[in-house]
Amino acid sequence: MTEDLKSYLHKQMASVENLHAIVVTDRDGVVIVKVANQMAPDTALRQSFLSVFGIMTEQASKMGMGNNSKIINFYDRFQTVQINAHPLLLHFIADRNANTGLILELEHVLADVLQDVSKVVTMM
Amino acid sequence: MLKPRALSDVLSQANTGGIGSTLLLNSEGSLLAFSGFGDKDASAAGAIASNIWTSFQKSGQLSLDDNKLDCVLVECKLGKIAITKVANLLLCLCSEDGVSFGMLKTKITALSSYLEEPLSQIASS
Repeated sequence: MTEDLKSYLHKQMASVENLHAIVVTDRDGVVIVKVANQMAPDTALRQSFLSVFGIMTEQASKMGMGNNSKIINFYDRFQTVQINAHPLLLHFIADRNANTGLILELEHVLADVLQDVSKVVTMM
Repeated sequence: MLKPRALSDVLSQANTGGIGSTLLLNSEGSLLAFSGFGDKDASAAGAIASNIWTSFQKSGQLSLDDNKLDCVLVECKLGKIAITKVANLLLCLCSEDGVSFGMLKTKITALSSYLEEPLSQIASS
């Protein structure tokens, strides 16, 4: 079943040009499932990087504008789209010039998958 | 030198079409200038925005080998926030939820480009 899930995520990753990785983690940044191509930096697929969003989404929720749902970072060469899908976190790593709108749309495409995975997380 | 009223007038030009406030922060997150509506605590929001920027900049440098963070877009339930660097300061726009990310990014990019030269002169003096 994990292989089916990875295969599905690979297909979705390929649907957006220059999208290099899709990672699903828990709130602490621990990887549950990830797919990536060789263009994604290995260090960006680790808990040390992914956990920063877990902390920052809580901080952003205290800015007086309600709970944080997503943070998008544009770096010189990369962009990261990170989504708070409680109890999970969804991370996309792409080239700076990738289509951010299409990446955001993947949140809705992956909604059913995330719901199934979150049931497992909440059971544990 | 910096004219506070003129700076506030420039920041207020972004406060249209759903954008409620514009903040200019120093590198420590302290509020330098503010233009906007509402009674929300801009200082607290500015400090958090600065922390978000610094954290993602550091993690990008370490993990993506990319130390140039250009822009951060934050979506919350009740609104959106855009953060970018201008000279050695941070510019932050806060908007209603109905404002699209594209418009927010375009406005903050335009405002930061306009302020880059004058604020860089202040920073270097």
